[in-house]
Amino acid sequence: MRSSDGSSDAQRKPAGEMLGDLERTRYADLLVLIATRQDRDAFSELFAYYAPRVKSYLMRLGADNAAAEEIAQDVMVTVWRKAGLFDRAQASVSTWIFRIARNRRIDVFRRTKKPDLDPEEPMILPAGVEAPDARIEAMETETRVRAAMKDLPEEQLLLLRMAFYEGLSHREIAEKLDVPLGTVKSRIRLAFGKMKSRLDND
Amino acid sequence: MKVTSASMMDDASRAALASGRAEPSLGLFLDTLLAMRGISETEGAVIAGVGLETETVAALSPNALDMVFAAIERGPARPKAKLVYEDLGQTPAFLQDAILAAEARHDWRLGGPGIRRLPLGVPGHAKIEIIRIEAGTKVPWHTHKGQELTLCIAGEFSDDRAVYGPGDFSVYRGDDRHQPVASTAGPAYALAVTDAGLRFEGLLGALQKLFNA
Repeated sequence: MRSSDGSSDAQRKPAGEMLGDLERTRYADLLVLIATRQDRDAFSELFAYYAPRVKSYLMRLGADNAAAEEIAQDVMVTVWRKAGLFDRAQASVSTWIFRIARNRRIDVFRRTKKPDLDPEEPMILPAGVEAPDARIEAMETETRVRAAMKDLPEEQLLLLRMAFYEGLSHREIAEKLDVPLGTVKSRIRLAFGKMKSRLDND
Repeated sequence: MKVTSASMMDDASRAALASGRAEPSLGLFLDTLLAMRGISETEGAVIAGVGLETETVAALSPNALDMVFAAIERGPARPKAKLVYEDLGQTPAFLQDAILAAEARHDWRLGGPGIRRLPLGVPGHAKIEIIRIEAGTKVPWHTHKGQELTLCIAGEFSDDRAVYGPGDFSVYRGDDRHQPVASTAGPAYALAVTDAGLRFEGLLGALQKLFNA
């Protein structure tokens, strides 16, 4: 069964815990080691954590097992090659790798028409530097959003995940969860409202 | 360039931006717009990162890591291609990669005197292309089948509404007639996405509110 079709609530629930502060620092250190010393051990550790998750994500987007495997490997090659562009003040390793994987979604869509994926095909990469004040804001937001997410009800987390992680439109979310479109819109707004008020209280 | 913080967006705008990502062409357009405006959509990015952390763990082939190291050692199969038009070298890196990928597949197409178009071949329902207008060239008056979002990515052009420089964008609905004219200083480049009858849902309103387009 394709995981992309798995639309039941049970399958959509997150499978694991989000990383703690120490682990996030660790993965950022590893990525820096890859960039500065081409450190293979660091890469192997990063690979062990992220590659299986990237593969799952690609299957969620609709890739079959073979395509997901191939694109996931290719994403990890990109992680190695572009490690020098990672800026730990701007994004977490998870967000950085997610963006690389997300931008391969075009390959997932194209896959049916173009069976021979060229692993060297120029790919769409994460956006570059941001304004200095945006970078400071990024670090604070990382910590605060993670804290706020721990307090959000499951139902709202699910919607945020579907919208921002899976990249589904509100209409698609409504269809998958079998609830009216207006309900999806109001719940997402509510989740943002709660995250924001939580942020304001800090 | 004006820097807008993501925290200045209201909830509905953020939600609309998220839903826009579902359509690949529109996602590319939004990513370009936000990058050129120096906007970080931070909350959404954090949520997505957490999404990856809490993702299920798929089984990889047993030699996956070895294959990746082998690919790393092989290095890129060919040197990085050069953009046909150097003017586009100032656009966000991911857009340049999309342009290079399209240029590798086909040439820029003639779109009338002084006009060239490069469809980016992004899958999905909406269409996205780069339009190059030679300095001083007037694009004939036209309307669109559906809605069109146009972002100036290099050079400068104008129409009866405004003058557009890099990072400026405009929304045209199906029945809007317009005639863009490139500045005489040099060629102008626009990234244009047309919805081909799709609805961009709440996105247009959100964009207009955000950027006063």
